[in-house]
Amino acid sequence: MKKNKNSLRILRIQRVFKQHEFYLFIVIVIYSIFIAFLNPNFISLENLFDLGKSSAVMGIMAVGVFVVLLSGGIDLSFTAIAISGQYIAANALIASGVDNIFLAFLISCTVGISLGAINGFLISHYKIPTLIATLGTSSVFHGALLTIVGTRAINAAQLPNCFKILGSYNVFVLTKPNGVEYGMSVFILIFIFIALLTWIILKYTMLGRGVYAIGGDLNAAIRSAFNVRGIQFFIYCYVGFLAGIAGVLHISLIRYGNPTYLVGDELNVIAAVVLGGTRITGGTGTVIGTIMGMAMLTILNNSLILVGLSSYWHTFFVGLIIVISVSITSYQNSKSTGNITLRK
Amino acid sequence: MPENSEKFLEVKNISKSYVGVQALDKVNLSVNKGEISCLVGENGSGKSTLIKIIAGVVRPDEGEIIIGGKEYKHIHAIDAIREGIQVIYQDLSLFPNLSIAENISLNHMVERKRKAISWKEIRDIAEQEISAINKELDLEEKVENISIANKQLVAICRALTQDAKLIIMDEPTTAIAQKEIDFLFSVISDLKKRGISTLFVSHKLSEVLKISEKVTILRDGKLVGVYNTKELDHDTLSFYMSGKKLSNSAFEFQEKEKGKKPLLEVKNLSKKGQFSNINLQIKSGEIVGITGIIGSGRTEFALSLFGLNKPDTGEIYIDGKLVKIRFPRDAIEQGLSYLPEDRLNQGLFIKQPIENNIVVTILKKLINKFNLIENNKKYKYAERWIKELNIVAPSLDTTVQALSGGNQQRVVIAKWLATHPKVFILDGPTVGIDVASKSNIHNLIRKLAKQGMGVVIISDEIPEILRNCNRLVVISEGRIIKELNTDEVNENQLLDILAKKNIRLIR
Repeated sequence: MKKNKNSLRILRIQRVFKQHEFYLFIVIVIYSIFIAFLNPNFISLENLFDLGKSSAVMGIMAVGVFVVLLSGGIDLSFTAIAISGQYIAANALIASGVDNIFLAFLISCTVGISLGAINGFLISHYKIPTLIATLGTSSVFHGALLTIVGTRAINAAQLPNCFKILGSYNVFVLTKPNGVEYGMSVFILIFIFIALLTWIILKYTMLGRGVYAIGGDLNAAIRSAFNVRGIQFFIYCYVGFLAGIAGVLHISLIRYGNPTYLVGDELNVIAAVVLGGTRITGGTGTVIGTIMGMAMLTILNNSLILVGLSSYWHTFFVGLIIVISVSITSYQNSKSTGNITLRK
Repeated sequence: MPENSEKFLEVKNISKSYVGVQALDKVNLSVNKGEISCLVGENGSGKSTLIKIIAGVVRPDEGEIIIGGKEYKHIHAIDAIREGIQVIYQDLSLFPNLSIAENISLNHMVERKRKAISWKEIRDIAEQEISAINKELDLEEKVENISIANKQLVAICRALTQDAKLIIMDEPTTAIAQKEIDFLFSVISDLKKRGISTLFVSHKLSEVLKISEKVTILRDGKLVGVYNTKELDHDTLSFYMSGKKLSNSAFEFQEKEKGKKPLLEVKNLSKKGQFSNINLQIKSGEIVGITGIIGSGRTEFALSLFGLNKPDTGEIYIDGKLVKIRFPRDAIEQGLSYLPEDRLNQGLFIKQPIENNIVVTILKKLINKFNLIENNKKYKYAERWIKELNIVAPSLDTTVQALSGGNQQRVVIAKWLATHPKVFILDGPTVGIDVASKSNIHNLIRKLAKQGMGVVIISDEIPEILRNCNRLVVISEGRIIKELNTDEVNENQLLDILAKKNIRLIR
């Protein structure tokens, strides 16, 4: 029995080595050390806080996309939802004269959940393929926003104060030896909170296990009496909710609201999630992997600037990394199933 | 059997028709407590409809279902589950991406309408059920990484978590090896001791005879009869199922031209971790059987011949000439054909019409002077093969998924015969095919051999090999451990060879 336990333990350790996240972590560490040699500023706490703050918006959306991919679906409309929530909330605050960030979140998230519910309804009720459904609604949402709400940009002077306060709010502040102050933005805290919340939902609720179940085998989930419609509806509402939060953070970060922003960034976010080890076919993936995927892309972008390369290289390297990382994963899968590619 | 005679399930006068087709006609079935029984019948006999009615998925037109004394006119799926009826479908309905523990326990928790997850509870439930069937499995392993036999055990454990009183298993032994079937049967015998009944739905006659106490036979939607297994043997059972006497004569090989080079000769073919030093000759008109347990390397070897699994060393000769086979394309050009074991995924484009499936190997022959495919030619080719192989289908553009297993397999065979192969390798040619169609396919294979083709049949059904081959090789752990003529052994001796492979390896 004891021997058995040991062999189980070895199995467990082997499993860690099989995981995509493990390799991604190693790559991030090695790459960070490499960049730190070229530019020691890279691993300064200040830079890390900066990175965290600037990637929080994408990170929150990535967590939402991760949940969708996990369920075997895909969402292309979340950026349209985020910009809708943001733009409607900002305009509502300006029009009403109420300068309250919580109201902004409330409006933006309500818009997000409502639009997400439309996706969820189409997908769970009419069984429309998720790619087609969200491709369609993405245009509908964005088109409706531009025609009904308007196309006028909101500049820093018009922007209600509460957004600017949120954008510069630090949870704590440190002082460098030369007297310059820097701090950890509240953005990072919000992101951590959302990642944690999602992790708990996925790991410790039936709802979350249902997401894994329908991503693993939809028919089996139906036969197991999971409330598949309800779970799908929840997923798209949740993505909408996260998009609503991301929308408010985004306008607070750049202090400028333009209803054509964000839309078009979907594929970058999806790329980060896939890079984090989430299978595009559903069922497999982790929150921590998603965070690392996001971190990898952010570090890459940042380091190119630190090293002094043009940001055009970013696009090139992102593509390269995705191709390589997905190739490695699929090569490992084919190896573990005994290299007969015909067998499933 | 006094304590067993209590009826758990009784189905009376069940009828069901689908648009004009009488799927079931006043069928009766009963299952006693703790009884192991079988439901047999050919494809289309109404077995699956009957199971679905019992599981509450399909509503019968008339008749009643009595479970534990309670009468149902039509039962809902949820009632069936509450009454303890669990169906394990052929696809097992497991979640490949989740752990063994979760697969076993999740249904239980869904049914209890749990909102939160206790991982300890999940592990405890799984551990308890797994140890109850005397099996050790790594509960944290993902189901996609375990063997089909173990997946089946996981599905059984999952059924047990729901207080199953009757487990219905749909074709459980199609994809697993003999040793695993034996374990499965021992599990089922243990369930019997716990008072849990099992209803097997199966084609494999030898297994039906081995495990069950009672056999219910359906044919064309009607009940043929309920028999004590002791009253039945292989022949009577297949007669009841098909209504026909099937030929039992063994295949005899007549060598036409002595001293001619073999059609296919394999010399010292090896691939690390799969098979080593395989030597094999196939002459014109021969049917050679390859048998061995799943994982013995037999399929891997066949794939190597067909250019799908590059061997490390060794040579392949066709008509005495050394050939290089790197891709299936090369194999086809050299006159090799390969019928895969997994008909649905590898042998067919199931959502495509029959004609497209048949001509897929000979598209080049259909091209006209503009380099486009000529539909007329396609139609002619397809029609010719449908006639030649007696494929039963409403029309040429019926999708293959609508055909029965036997007809599907004939489409795969037609597709390869269209290339006029010299050597035809058939991997599990009759897996999941009913008795009558099976014998049709065997006759077809014999006819091909008579016409001078060299045939290889890979199968773990011993009777299939013994009856249809003139020579056989036994592969174990990637090596040929025995090569003999089929008239030198009987079924039991061959089973012994398979079982005692270790002893023979040392010798």
